[in-house]
Amino acid sequence: MLRAFVAAIALFAVVLGLAVAGEARTAIAGTVKSKTGQPLPGLALLEKGEIHNNVWDRGALVDASGRFTIELPEGGQYGVHVYSSGYLYSPQAVRVETGKTLEVTVTLVPEPTRANDPVIKRAGFFPWGARQGKVTFVKLEVSDPNDDLGPQVMAFNAATGRVYAMDPPRKVRNLKANFPQGVYQLEVDTSQAPISPRDWHFVVADHQCNTTDILSFPHEPKPARVIR
Amino acid sequence: MRAALLLAALGLPAMALAGSPDLVAEGERWWTQSPDPANPVACATCHWDQGATRGWAASFPKWKPLPPPAARVMTLFQANAEAVTRHYRLCDPRRAAAAITAYLTAQGAGVPLSPGISAGQPVFPQRLRALVASVKRGRALFARRCDACHRAGEAARALTAYPRAVYGRVEPLEEFLERHRAEEPLAWDSQATADLIAYLTEESR
Repeated sequence: MLRAFVAAIALFAVVLGLAVAGEARTAIAGTVKSKTGQPLPGLALLEKGEIHNNVWDRGALVDASGRFTIELPEGGQYGVHVYSSGYLYSPQAVRVETGKTLEVTVTLVPEPTRANDPVIKRAGFFPWGARQGKVTFVKLEVSDPNDDLGPQVMAFNAATGRVYAMDPPRKVRNLKANFPQGVYQLEVDTSQAPISPRDWHFVVADHQCNTTDILSFPHEPKPARVIR
Repeated sequence: MRAALLLAALGLPAMALAGSPDLVAEGERWWTQSPDPANPVACATCHWDQGATRGWAASFPKWKPLPPPAARVMTLFQANAEAVTRHYRLCDPRRAAAAITAYLTAQGAGVPLSPGISAGQPVFPQRLRALVASVKRGRALFARRCDACHRAGEAARALTAYPRAVYGRVEPLEEFLERHRAEEPLAWDSQATADLIAYLTEESR
């Protein structure tokens, strides 16, 4: 009796193992390049659902060979936004099938001028004393010469793969409205582990698609340059 | 000749010139050159691949995924007007939008109409459902506003006559509809106008 029970459990474990092993992953993978075919590093950030809905989900660093992969819990509709320093960001609506990897190619065009770009003036990480370090505020000071910032004041945590649209300094009527210049912030739960600034990357795009350079650790902004 | 008769049936001057070369050329200029030298990003800066943009005109009316609450079904002209308002910061986007509409329509000549579906792009069921609802609203609106004088099939065939140049003035269909019944104007940039055109486009297929 016991032998039969053990055999049944073993068989169940084998079947379960095979099922798990056979489960294909759901992902978006991509190649990012310039119009001349040069691979570009940067960020790939996802909105879940309809593109431009500002429901940010997860993302990935785009490596030096222009490759990225973002694993997804499920298929469906996503908005892929790809950023590379010196280039206009590229939005693309995609549909991913569960159990499959969608392969996309993203071609970015350089910004003809940087004069209209938003500017990240500084970034900082501030543990909230009153909560004994259980909450840390990530802050980003942003200006925009055209004063037409949109909701894309983005923070990406490469350690967790999570993407965030940072909270504006004051309430905004709707996503089409011009967002204010000033200090944007994000409240991060640091009760389990302290924040590691090395993991954080920032990028900002305005309503006209003018895009900042990606600001990575040590988060010291440099003058933007035009890519020829 | 047939188009002229149809236009006459709709009460339009027969000298309307849809997609006139001048208008198409003007549209190409708007497409490739920003009117603001200080902000040189033009439509073609990002949308440089004619292979991709060739199918755009045929895919309208369609759901435009603008940030909420602006996302809705739009005509090509309405979508262009929204884009040039935002990117070129034009106070009155209609002339540029009409010319760009003519340019994109000419570029897509011969591409079969496929409202809601762009060649080479994924199909999103939610967007198609929104378009179906728009067509339904447009049908009801046509029955209420237009049916007494116009047959849907005839009106639908006249769609291709727009945007047109009349006495040097450019008129997109949306503006014609706005003025057509002065007692009950229909704003050129409204959802209702997009609904009506979505219905007529469906009738023309």
